Amino acid sequence: MPNDSQPQLVNVQIDDVWHQFPKGTRLIEACEQAGSYVPRYCYHKKLSSPGNCRMCLIEMGMPKMGPDRKPILGPDGKPEINWMPRPQISCATDVSEGLGVRTISPLVEECRRGVMEFLLINHPLDCPICDQAGECRLQEFSVEYGRQDSRFLEHKVKKPKNVVLGPRVTLDDERCILCSRCIRFCKEIAHDDVLGFVDRGSHTTLTAHPGKRLENNYSLNTVDICPVGALTSSDFRFKMRVWFLKETNSFCTSCATGCNTIIGTREDVIYRQTPRENDAVNSTWMCDYGRLNFAYLERDRRLLEPMVRTENKLQPATWPHAIASAATQLKPYVGWQTAILASGRMTNEELWLAGRLAESLGVTLIDIVPRTGEADDILLSADRNPNTNGARLLRLASGSGTVLQQIKEAVWSGQIQALITLGENPLRCGITPEYLARLPVYVVLDLLANDATAQASVVLPSLGFAEKRGSMINGKGRLQRLNRAVRGPGEARDDWEILRDLVQAISGGNSESHARSGRLDTIEDVFRQMSEAVPEFAGLTLSRISDLGVQVLNGDGKPGNSAPEKMREREPEKQPQ
Amino acid sequence: MTTNVPPDLERKMDEQIGHYPSEQRRSASLPLLHLWQEHFGFISDAGVNWIATKLGLEPINIFELITFYPMLRQAPAGRKHLRVCRTLSCAMAGAYPLMENLARLTKIDREHQGAGMHNSVAVSPDGEYSIEFVECLASCGTAPVCMVDDVLYENVAPESAPELLGGSLSPGTQHPPPHPLERRLVFKNIGREGYTTDIDCYLQNGGYEQLKAAVKMTRAEIVNEVKTSGLRGRGGAGFPCGVKWVFIKPDEKKPVYLICNADESEPGTFKDRYIIHQDPHQLIEGILISCFALNVHTAYIYIRGEFPEGAKILARGIEEARAHHFLGRNALGIGFDVEIYLHRGAGAYICGEETGLIESLEGKRAYPRIKPPYFPAVLGLYMCPTIVNNVETLCHVKHIIAMGGAEYAMLGRPNNTGTRIVCVSGDVVRPGYFEIEVGAVTMGQLINEMAGGPKEGRKVKAVIPGGSSAKVLRADETFKLKNREISFDEIPMDFDTLAAVGSMAGSGGVIVLDDSRDMVWALNNINEFYAHESCGQCTPCREGSLWMKKITERMLAGGGVTQDPATLKNVADNIAGRTICAFGEACAWPTQSFVDKFPDDFAARAKKPVPPPLPPEYTAEELIAETEIPSVPLAHDPGWEKAGAAGTV
Ligand SMILES: Cc1cc2nc3c(=O)[nH]c(=O)nc-3n(C[C@H](O)[C@H](O)[C@H](O)COP(=O)(O)O)c2cc1C
Ligand code: SF4
Ligand code: SF4
Ligand code: SF4
Ligand code: FES
Ligand code: FES
Repeated sequence: MPNDSQPQLVNVQIDDVWHQFPKGTRLIEACEQAGSYVPRYCYHKKLSSPGNCRMCLIEMGMPKMGPDRKPILGPDGKPEINWMPRPQISCATDVSEGLGVRTISPLVEECRRGVMEFLLINHPLDCPICDQAGECRLQEFSVEYGRQDSRFLEHKVKKPKNVVLGPRVTLDDERCILCSRCIRFCKEIAHDDVLGFVDRGSHTTLTAHPGKRLENNYSLNTVDICPVGALTSSDFRFKMRVWFLKETNSFCTSCATGCNTIIGTREDVIYRQTPRENDAVNSTWMCDYGRLNFAYLERDRRLLEPMVRTENKLQPATWPHAIASAATQLKPYVGWQTAILASGRMTNEELWLAGRLAESLGVTLIDIVPRTGEADDILLSADRNPNTNGARLLRLASGSGTVLQQIKEAVWSGQIQALITLGENPLRCGITPEYLARLPVYVVLDLLANDATAQASVVLPSLGFAEKRGSMINGKGRLQRLNRAVRGPGEARDDWEILRDLVQAISGGNSESHARSGRLDTIEDVFRQMSEAVPEFAGLTLSRISDLGVQVLNGDGKPGNSAPEKMREREPEKQPQ
Repeated sequence: MTTNVPPDLERKMDEQIGHYPSEQRRSASLPLLHLWQEHFGFISDAGVNWIATKLGLEPINIFELITFYPMLRQAPAGRKHLRVCRTLSCAMAGAYPLMENLARLTKIDREHQGAGMHNSVAVSPDGEYSIEFVECLASCGTAPVCMVDDVLYENVAPESAPELLGGSLSPGTQHPPPHPLERRLVFKNIGREGYTTDIDCYLQNGGYEQLKAAVKMTRAEIVNEVKTSGLRGRGGAGFPCGVKWVFIKPDEKKPVYLICNADESEPGTFKDRYIIHQDPHQLIEGILISCFALNVHTAYIYIRGEFPEGAKILARGIEEARAHHFLGRNALGIGFDVEIYLHRGAGAYICGEETGLIESLEGKRAYPRIKPPYFPAVLGLYMCPTIVNNVETLCHVKHIIAMGGAEYAMLGRPNNTGTRIVCVSGDVVRPGYFEIEVGAVTMGQLINEMAGGPKEGRKVKAVIPGGSSAKVLRADETFKLKNREISFDEIPMDFDTLAAVGSMAGSGGVIVLDDSRDMVWALNNINEFYAHESCGQCTPCREGSLWMKKITERMLAGGGVTQDPATLKNVADNIAGRTICAFGEACAWPTQSFVDKFPDDFAARAKKPVPPPLPPEYTAEELIAETEIPSVPLAHDPGWEKAGAAGTV
């Protein structure tokens, strides 16, 4: 509720200290903010609260009321508290004036020990082979709150193991603690009510209907929110122990939403991407398509070294030779004889330098290749380019597609003699091998080998989103930063460096941009140069873009901070009519 | 199996769907499942899909139901389907030998029914019979009981199994005349010679006069009379009815619903079934008066699935009342529209809990809701204000209008007003129902005079005074009240005294155990009930109820270890007060009180030393079989380490 004036503050006593919280704060959150973390399993701040795990029991009290219906104040001037004899859950109540809470007390500890024991008696002792080990709430809390001995002498309840719920998610029912987070996620967020409980009591079992699979495009979020190792990603299953993973904050570049992510890597190999909370972008979710869209970075088809066509054959070359060769081949043509196909997947820094490249060659025919798909009403954007907004802001995107058509025709007619493609396959806009065959000069900067690169004069291998730094502006106008999670393969180079070197080689180090703001030694320098020219970036540096991004545009003409509306609030399952 | 749904069946389904607001079609899930099963014998995958499509739901929504409600079958039953009650009163009266006899005669191998909640129905090789154990059928006073298809057979001695199967046993029982200590109000016509369920009979006996009187009063006046009467809920919690009703704002904008809780399934309780089966119009009149008082236009009677006859009787009663313009559009010509719909449960005890009931009525698994925020009077059925009252409670409303609240309040004792029906079952000579002025009869009078006392040569050992959830009392105990000490026999049967002696009046189900009973056996029977009926939603009850049952079962089988009584007690302590609904207490109180009050019975079955800890050198079976078990202290548990996760898990 950004428009509301000051939210009302209420006084709450937590573990003997009075705090103030805005009205409407969930008690369990208030406790956490006050430094008294309350363990929980079923509660998830973005989902409805069923209160079923009972792990968050605390002692609660209301202010004692005098005969005048006003709170009785103690010697410290604060209300005296009437403690309830029974423990209460903290996940389903909002703070209220004068509320008292004890999160540390013999009763609370006993409650937690009790719940932990109940959760473990029927739980298999699978930790050594469980993917969740290391980030399992059951493991974690049991060390902290569990009892040391076991007094359960009975047989454990048997349940199905290795249930394939869908193409990407596998379930081990014996590990499931029946918190219902996954069910609620599917119903409330993914709008695909596929999961449910069958049977009853201790035999209750999570499942999907035999005739229906968990295959919606958000299915892997259930794996993230499952507090134990019951739901696992079929992709990640058994591949890597999580504690070996290095984590890098980044964002997904598979559509204009730009969901914030953590990239989990080890020794330059990406093992997984998981969503990172950002209420202005993706809440705590991401789609499966984006999440799994990183395997191409490791494909066999990766371009690993620069190549120059000699004697009608692409031959490996050194970087200086390749750059020099590209420059030499491009320079003879005048502006209208050259075209540049840029990409909405390029970072702002790369786009900026692409702009300089165009300037140095006098090119006017430059555009990005649109990439669209079907949008859902959850996160996935119809614009599958992550940085269309950046390309527009830097005036590299025509938006209409007429420029692309012009380029295509001009290649065919022979007007265009030199084509540069930056991270795009020209086939995408109808420039087929027959077209390319007409070009005397074709310079390619790209990740993967394909039919087009095979026809290039010069091939400049570059880096993928997880291998470099740089910024993009998402569909809602938020400037976000990619961070390098892994090193690029072979001799592939960071795109901005390639572009910088190419510009310098063409303009002989005397380019206008060079003169404008000095040397471009780091990508920070590129950002600085860009920020001097682009008012939207004024006052920013690449490093200063927070992990949650900065709002720089009013995306879609709408005002600033525009997280998907429904993601912001917990949507209660049982909404009053 | 065909998915060809005959038009007639679909028409019936559409009619059921019409009983709920149009945007709440999901509510019709259970009714449709019942209709499907009645027609096709069981619910196939095709049925799940068909019903889901019909109601605009996902198949999983329906699948969740058929695995929650034990009456819904996924495979065909025999041509005759037998349901034998296995709960405490019936078990004491021979339900287990009865089951053995039936299984032998029908050649059904119950061993292969499998463990777990949902035994697939066991069918005899010739397909003629299927049998299953079910939980309390609300006829504990005539134990043991057995349903053959929709018909209840009472007092079915184990020896009469052949007659039962042969069809030569007749259903029904004798109703003794009221005992002189009784004060009959609600049960005036129960068991009365010549009294029928017809509306004409009811009208001849002064029926619907109170409704006619009530609609001449203002709403506030009726609510006030109920408040003045001091009527406390008869469903179990004893909450003052008038106080509950006042939660409904007179100017409420949302629709207000009334739900009559006819789920009667607390073991030991069998009063509502008599009202429903013998005096349906009394209930309908009580509901209609309450509807008028609370400005309710739609009332639902949630009737347990095991009362199929009762549902038919009530359905007919509602139609008769409609024909007499007591309900429907412009009822009684006063411009008030009111409808009563029946909603049948399907065999889940937790549907008696009011928020579980509401979820069930909304077409979901009967998962009780957290309170706060979902107090029925505020966010009840369809998130609208809802009053849930027990069958008997609603019948009392009629008598409050007849007598006036103040006059009614003179019955019984202060804060424990009116009459109530107590149901006595178990080890007494004359089990049955007795309507008494609350508190005007003592435990001793009830058991020894009204119910005929213990069987010959026996002494009363223990009594569970308010349904199986109530804490057990020892017959040789004395109890300290505020200003005096009383013996067990002197306990007045009222809400406050039963609470003061550490138990509760609950649902009025008094279960008597004599000195022949092993309390571990009795507790195990009760534990089995709760383990079976826990909805499984919240951790302590879900895991604890089954654990307690496993412990008592092992103790009974000879595998009890010295630690068991303490563990039992502690497990129960870890449930009570920490769950979503009062089922947590309901399942913990028996264990807490049995272990507490009968330490000798438990010690006698807990003799083996504590075995070495996990990984189980001893399985439960081995514990039972072994006589010599070495003891190892429990200070450190190598089990986790062996599992490879030292210091974790
Ligand atoms: C586990 C459980 C089972 C219950 N079963 C019943 C029942 O079968 N019938 C009933 O009327 N009330 C039952 N109740 C009580 C209801 O929740 C509710 O309090 C009652 O219907 C209110 O009506 P009253 O105020 O008229 O008693 C049960 C409560 C619990 C916790
Ligand atoms: S699978 Fe995981 S998220 Fe789903 S109910 Fe079980 S424990 Fe909870
Ligand atoms: S919605 Fe878009 S940005 Fe988010 S994960 Fe999916 S593809 Fe990536
Ligand atoms: S206490 Fe038992 S019955 Fe009640 S909600 Fe919890 S699990 Fe279900
Ligand atoms: S977090 Fe599960 S009950 Fe509160
Ligand atoms: S009917 Fe069998 S115990 Fe109640």
